Amino acid sequence: MNAGATHDRASNRRTRQWSALRFQHVGKVFADSRGGQYAATRDVNVSVRRGDFYCLLGPSGCGKSTLLGMVAGFDPPTSGEIVFVGDDAGVEWTSPIFAAGVDRSMIFQDAAEALFPWLDVEENVLFGPRLRAARARGYAGSATRYLHMVGLQDHGHKFPFELSGGMKQRVQIARALIMEPDILLMDEPFAALDAITKRLLQTEMSRIWQETGKTVLYVTHDIVEALILGTRIAVMTSGPEATIRDEIVVDLPRPRRTTDAEFVELVKILEGMLLEEVHKGRRAQGALT
Amino acid sequence: MRRAETLPADRAAPGVGRVPIPGVRRIAFAAAGRRLLMASISIGFALLLWHLSVGTLFNPALVPTPEQTFSKAWRMMLTGELFMHVAVSMRRVLVGYAVGCVVGIAVGALIGRVRIVRELADPLLELIRPISPVAIVPLAMLWFGIGELSKFFVIIYATVIIVLLNTAAGVSRTPVTRIRAARCLGASEYEVFVKIILPSAVPYVLTGMRVALGFSFMGIVAAELIGASEGLGFLIMNSQMLLQTDQLFVGLLSLGVVGLVVDRIFRAVLARSMRRYMQFLGDV
Repeated sequence: MNAGATHDRASNRRTRQWSALRFQHVGKVFADSRGGQYAATRDVNVSVRRGDFYCLLGPSGCGKSTLLGMVAGFDPPTSGEIVFVGDDAGVEWTSPIFAAGVDRSMIFQDAAEALFPWLDVEENVLFGPRLRAARARGYAGSATRYLHMVGLQDHGHKFPFELSGGMKQRVQIARALIMEPDILLMDEPFAALDAITKRLLQTEMSRIWQETGKTVLYVTHDIVEALILGTRIAVMTSGPEATIRDEIVVDLPRPRRTTDAEFVELVKILEGMLLEEVHKGRRAQGALT
Repeated sequence: MRRAETLPADRAAPGVGRVPIPGVRRIAFAAAGRRLLMASISIGFALLLWHLSVGTLFNPALVPTPEQTFSKAWRMMLTGELFMHVAVSMRRVLVGYAVGCVVGIAVGALIGRVRIVRELADPLLELIRPISPVAIVPLAMLWFGIGELSKFFVIIYATVIIVLLNTAAGVSRTPVTRIRAARCLGASEYEVFVKIILPSAVPYVLTGMRVALGFSFMGIVAAELIGASEGLGFLIMNSQMLLQTDQLFVGLLSLGVVGLVVDRIFRAVLARSMRRYMQFLGDV
């Protein structure tokens, strides 16, 4: 099907209900500094269904963030494609991803760089709606609901430099949610936080996902985090030429407890897979573990 | 620990910010009072030393006493002569500076934003940067004569280079993540430039503007020393030729006072109007 029929250019939104975000044989080759080529990922096939909390779990440097950046539209794949797919009365349509757009909201690991330091919390959250309102000569709406959702209702007039790392990530989450995107893209958002803050935010993210029913594509190297959050977890092989090794479905009830026997069992399985990949990667590079 | 304390605020640990604390205003007042006290002591001490050294260390024909200098300044103020020279110099500086800032910001933003322009402009700018505004004065005289135009030219030159380089640096150093975040929120290329890149560059631009202001004062004096019939530079040069050392000292002191006042005004205006773009960097 052609893209025009499924994609409204003015609002940059798909006009029809999609059912999955599909990676089809996606690969990315970078030119390295010596004029050679470096294949970061190869033949990645993933299907993120609408409503999934989908975790990409893999060792450092396996190209997880690269994949996320491709979905965001920052940098296109060098082979394969990433498409939204839907179904109209039995006829399947696909809609490819072009540039960055409001239908896909990214939450970055480095909140200090991602937030706009000259705007306070509320103005950061309203940045997107105000751009839209300015174009349509309409009303940007209020940030209150989204500030409440992330627990920042009393901090709307603080500036980013006055916030802790965890609070900055809350701002990013509210700023993404207010756009009502089709999919939230999260790039190790809690990796730089201290252990307690991290656990708190993971629990809240799980709640927010349940409340909003948003589709989330979440990149992490933290096994426990993937298991607290994910409905499905794709384990990646180590790079170069990283690809999907296994996909597991997690149907533990929420909120998940890290000490439950089933949870611990899944940690062991994933840990086994990841360790194997890390060792493989080290051997490939001739390095010691 | 000591080392961390001397780092500027923007290098401090992430998440550490200034939170309003009751009583902080009183502390600020106390700090301002202390600064004033120290300034009075150091200036008073310098005046005393100056007073004692004339006639003992220095030849009174070459160094006037502070009393002679201030009484000369007072007389020049009463006749309006001093104000006239200050006004003439200030007018030249402000016109040239304003034009220089506008040009510097516009061209600097272009250079910072468009990679190919930056790559082409960089070698030239590196070459021009060490050429001080003072060195430009003879050329300005040759091209534009001894009128106002040559003065404007020197000031514009002094301002443009610094403001341009800083603006370009600020624009090109906008974090990629910040630009991407704005794109995800629906910003067009134009909106990214106006609402993200320009605000991100503000601290750089203002730093450049402040340095350029100092350069402008150097430039104007150099230009007026050579070819002018009014202005502070002329006053200084003329006093030397007439061997009026008290008047020469009045000229130098006026230059210091005017420069300081203008810089303070610049900072006060900047602290108010651009506060939200600067606060995360700490004190302006």
